[in-house]
Amino acid sequence: MTEFTPKLVCFSCKFGWGYLNTNGYKNQLKNLIPVTCSGTVDTTHIIGAFKEGADGVLILGCPDSECHFQTGNYQARKKIMLLRKVLKEFGIDSGRLKIALSIDPEGAQIPVVIDAMKKEIKNLGPLRLAV
Amino acid sequence: MWDAINVGEACVESAIKQFLPPCQKQCPVNEDIQRTNVLISLLPEDPAQAKDGLIQIGDYLFENNPLFPICGYVCGVCELGCNYQSKGGSIRRRLLKRFVSDFYLNYMDKKKEYDIVKDKENVAVIGGGPGGLMCAFHLSKKGYRVTIFEATNRLGGALWLIPHYRLPKLILQRAIENILRIAGIEVKYNAKIGEGKLTLEKLRKDGYKAVFIAKGTPAPRVLTFGRDFVENQDLEGIVYGQTFLYEVSRGILVRDYLGGKKVIVIGGGNVAFDVARSARRLGGDVTVVALEREDKESKDGIPADHEEIQGAWEEGIRIIYSRGVNKILGKEGQFDGIVSPKCTRVFDEKGRFHPVFDVNDTITMHGDILIITVGQIPDKDILKKEGLLDEYRQLSVDPLTFQSNSKDWVFIGGDVRRVGFMVDAMRDGQEAAESIERYLKGLDLKAGRKKEYEGSDIPQLKDADYKHEPNVVWLPPDKRIHFQMFEKGFTLKEAIEEARRCLCCGPCVSCKACISVGIQEELSSVVVHESFCSGCGICVSSCHYGAAQLKAVNSHLVSSTDMFKCKACGMCVSACPSGARESTGSDMEERISEFYASL
Repeated sequence: MTEFTPKLVCFSCKFGWGYLNTNGYKNQLKNLIPVTCSGTVDTTHIIGAFKEGADGVLILGCPDSECHFQTGNYQARKKIMLLRKVLKEFGIDSGRLKIALSIDPEGAQIPVVIDAMKKEIKNLGPLRLAV
Repeated sequence: MWDAINVGEACVESAIKQFLPPCQKQCPVNEDIQRTNVLISLLPEDPAQAKDGLIQIGDYLFENNPLFPICGYVCGVCELGCNYQSKGGSIRRRLLKRFVSDFYLNYMDKKKEYDIVKDKENVAVIGGGPGGLMCAFHLSKKGYRVTIFEATNRLGGALWLIPHYRLPKLILQRAIENILRIAGIEVKYNAKIGEGKLTLEKLRKDGYKAVFIAKGTPAPRVLTFGRDFVENQDLEGIVYGQTFLYEVSRGILVRDYLGGKKVIVIGGGNVAFDVARSARRLGGDVTVVALEREDKESKDGIPADHEEIQGAWEEGIRIIYSRGVNKILGKEGQFDGIVSPKCTRVFDEKGRFHPVFDVNDTITMHGDILIITVGQIPDKDILKKEGLLDEYRQLSVDPLTFQSNSKDWVFIGGDVRRVGFMVDAMRDGQEAAESIERYLKGLDLKAGRKKEYEGSDIPQLKDADYKHEPNVVWLPPDKRIHFQMFEKGFTLKEAIEEARRCLCCGPCVSCKACISVGIQEELSSVVVHESFCSGCGICVSSCHYGAAQLKAVNSHLVSSTDMFKCKACGMCVSACPSGARESTGSDMEERISEFYASL
């Protein structure tokens, strides 16, 4: 049996993460989707990711009270908190959905946080949906 | 570091009516304040890495406002328009700009000269103050051969009257020298118009096709009571504020010059406070006598800035409000004191300066030195000789184009037209440059120039989410009685923090900071699919900018987007329960579905 490599989707806010990295980190990290604001990530995007076969979803937003669009990061966090509870009811471990609020202009931390989450998911094993 | 694309993309577009951030609307030269604030907020916290970005921000500001390194020390008009004022204090834009300026000046000394072929007409600029420099810079940049005729042996005009504790001499000199060098402007010093053979006609004969006169207000306004001149202004020990500041700036009056002397300063404007605080620094025991009331909010309130008044008070300067002067007392040809009646009203109902006094309530003040700082006036004799005044002895100038009504090749602006802030004179210079270019090209001087801007509203947040302004750090009063700077500038970290506090009230089209540094590819927008919309209004509550609105269509409510206010953040899109809102021009959905397909 081949080793399980978790499939992770990462939504990252363009105003907080990696905007100074001009070396095209977007293309290097295939599982990264830069978004205008973490607040624009919809529950349907997250559920969609799980449905399509992702084992985990990570959202990177700006630090508290420093959202370029005022409260997008707060909205995102609120949404994630609620969604984690709902997913749990469907047997999806809340460790599969995470949000990190911080700032990293160079984007050097992006692969680091992605790898850290991948490791955790590896312990959880592949996601098996009931349907 | 990013490589900002600064091809004037964000410049205010010449629409007839446009929304602007209120700070930019307040700024007479409509500087791109929001854009540069956003860029500062995006800088990395490591100074070595941030340097490159700061230079790019400086270069961008320099293109439209080459005097910005000076503005960062003395202006701050924009802060009066800031929406944050009532919610925790204006964004400290002046200090942000001073921060950029301090970084930029070192680089500016090495900045390359513009590579321009000067093959256009000769233009003369009379007066090398902020108005003249601004006009000369903008014309020179376009290929006109500009010569500044400066009456003294240094450029800067009235900027030299700003005490060095507010504007260090070196900053002023370096900024101006670099403007001249970079734009390739020629200067003739000690060339005073109206003196010797130098007249407008002579300039015309010498091949100058247009002239911009920005010769400022070299003469002090004399003290009057009602309509009458107050006698005895020629006594020993009486000086006009402007003369005093001039001598301080030239280094004629040195430390302890006023040691142990009682100094009375007449006036309530910023210049009067510059005088008072300079006199205090020269050792004087200073009292300011102002006509206006202490309450700045009232119609008769004192015009000086709050910070000036507070600073003066801290330094031990007494301020006496609501008092005029109806008599100057002398003793053996020497100034002895003033008789000062109560002023009960400064401006009449129509807002005209028309003070009323109660002569039964007078006090007598004794002193050694009297400094009269009640305003400045232009030298009208020369203007009259050149035929630029109308029958009422007023300058006859078009207020939009600054073109003289009597000589079409002469343009007039700056303090000589109307006394204002430094940046008002700069605006005049900038506009005159535009007029001169149109005039020399034979174009319509007025077409499309009258712009009306509307200030954007403040984004709506919970009160607790508005952040308080940072404290300005001044040296303690007993340690700042000298002519060095006493206000501490921002560190990089403080500047980033303050720039992040900016709410970016203005519309995206007048900013485009994110596009210039490649965060966004283009400005997206949000469309509404009306057939899906139930008119629930969730989008309205999710929008901080008042862009999502409900409108009535055939008796039911439908959501709509005000494109002037929309920032396309997508908050409404993710909030909409029925998928009626969609971001356009953003590749997010496409990327997501592409990516999901690959899973």
